Amino acid sequence: MKITICIGSSCHLKGSRQIVEQLQRFIAERKLESQIELAGQFCMGNCQHGVCVTVDGETFSLSPETTQEFFENTVLPRL
Amino acid sequence: MNNLWIETGYISLNHVGETLCGDKVEISGGGTEDLTLVLADGLGSGVKANILSTLTSKILCTMISGGIPLEECVSTIAATLPVCSVRQVAYSTFTILRILKNQTAHIIQFDNPATIVLRHGELFEYPRTTRVISGKTIWESTFPIEADDVFIAMSDGAEWAGVGMTMNFGWTRDSIADFAIGNYLPDSSAKSIASLISDECNRLYGGRPGDDTTIAVARVCNRHAVNLLVGPPENKADDLRLMEQFFQSEGSRIVCGGTTSQVVSRYLNAPIEASLEYFDPEVPPICHIKGVDLTTEGVITLARVLTYAQDYLDQAHLSNVWQMQKDGASLIARELFEKATDVHFFVGRAINPAHQNPNLPINFAIKQQLITNLAHCLEKMGKHITLTYY
Repeated sequence: MKITICIGSSCHLKGSRQIVEQLQRFIAERKLESQIELAGQFCMGNCQHGVCVTVDGETFSLSPETTQEFFENTVLPRL
Repeated sequence: MNNLWIETGYISLNHVGETLCGDKVEISGGGTEDLTLVLADGLGSGVKANILSTLTSKILCTMISGGIPLEECVSTIAATLPVCSVRQVAYSTFTILRILKNQTAHIIQFDNPATIVLRHGELFEYPRTTRVISGKTIWESTFPIEADDVFIAMSDGAEWAGVGMTMNFGWTRDSIADFAIGNYLPDSSAKSIASLISDECNRLYGGRPGDDTTIAVARVCNRHAVNLLVGPPENKADDLRLMEQFFQSEGSRIVCGGTTSQVVSRYLNAPIEASLEYFDPEVPPICHIKGVDLTTEGVITLARVLTYAQDYLDQAHLSNVWQMQKDGASLIARELFEKATDVHFFVGRAINPAHQNPNLPINFAIKQQLITNLAHCLEKMGKHITLTYY
């Protein structure tokens, strides 16, 4: 599975880095490095709904506060 | 004409407790033009010294760069400087460094510590002759320059650094030369070298300089052009024209901005490889596009570069941050401040609708202002700037 996080200007200001750090931590805690690949991407052109995150091509709108819920309810069931 | 470029930078430390510096540096020319750099050190400290050194440096710089013989310049100073009521003398030492036609160095020195010259990072002993003008013994040297020559002029405050505090006899010219050689890096800018040495002086003085201390550096380097692209063009139809002009320009290439890098990626038919490494938590990670030397996010990164540029023109306290770090802003700063002699900004004026949000500090007006300010700072650093808007 590939999760891509937008690191463009607008998403950066809305908390891309915190989301990246949380996802890195969740993945490390569950030892899922071999199953989930994290990647960055410059502006996805959807800044109004940032922070933009895609999971295997499907787009989601996240904030640092909703990241844990997203990881547990959206990422884990898809593995 | 050769491919050489002359850049300069200096830092002054004030005598502890003084708000004015008694040393003064005056520079005219540089780049591909004839350089005249004058470092004057007025007798005493504070306002009197400041007046003496300001008059001396300004008069010498104006007259010498105007081609007037040294004898006349010196007698003009002697006739102009106000006489100190306490000491009954009018006195200011000086160093004049001229680089003519990007070929010949001409150094004229009166009572300042002898200018240190580094050639390929080693001490270069240059010939000196003396002559007496109006009772003053003046040293003169003329020799051809080479790429990477570094000229370090200083006031005697540098040699006194640490006297009676950290050292018995202060920091001699020889030890300053050893320090400069030990810390020599081929890419260090004149300002970085000045800052490195003046920081060490300040440290030896225990942060309380006992004399005004000035380090002025001129450096000979090869011309290096940097092309910086930021923002997609206002009209999409201009994409191709902008790309062609950007990629046909000589020099290294920096691309700033997410949408901009997508335009570049399409043009080069090369993917954007983003990293997730935050070397600085506030600066977004950089990307890689094959065919571009450096690709970064736009407005946040450039705002940081501007902060570094403004600091660099002042006392350069943040230099050790951007000289070491690997984030996008530091990489741009190194390329622009240290390596570039010519900077060409390719500025696209497309408005990103997502950024026109009053809650985001990155709107269109801010971005344009950033670029104007950055260009202005680089100009003050002595670089040749071109701005083209699309």
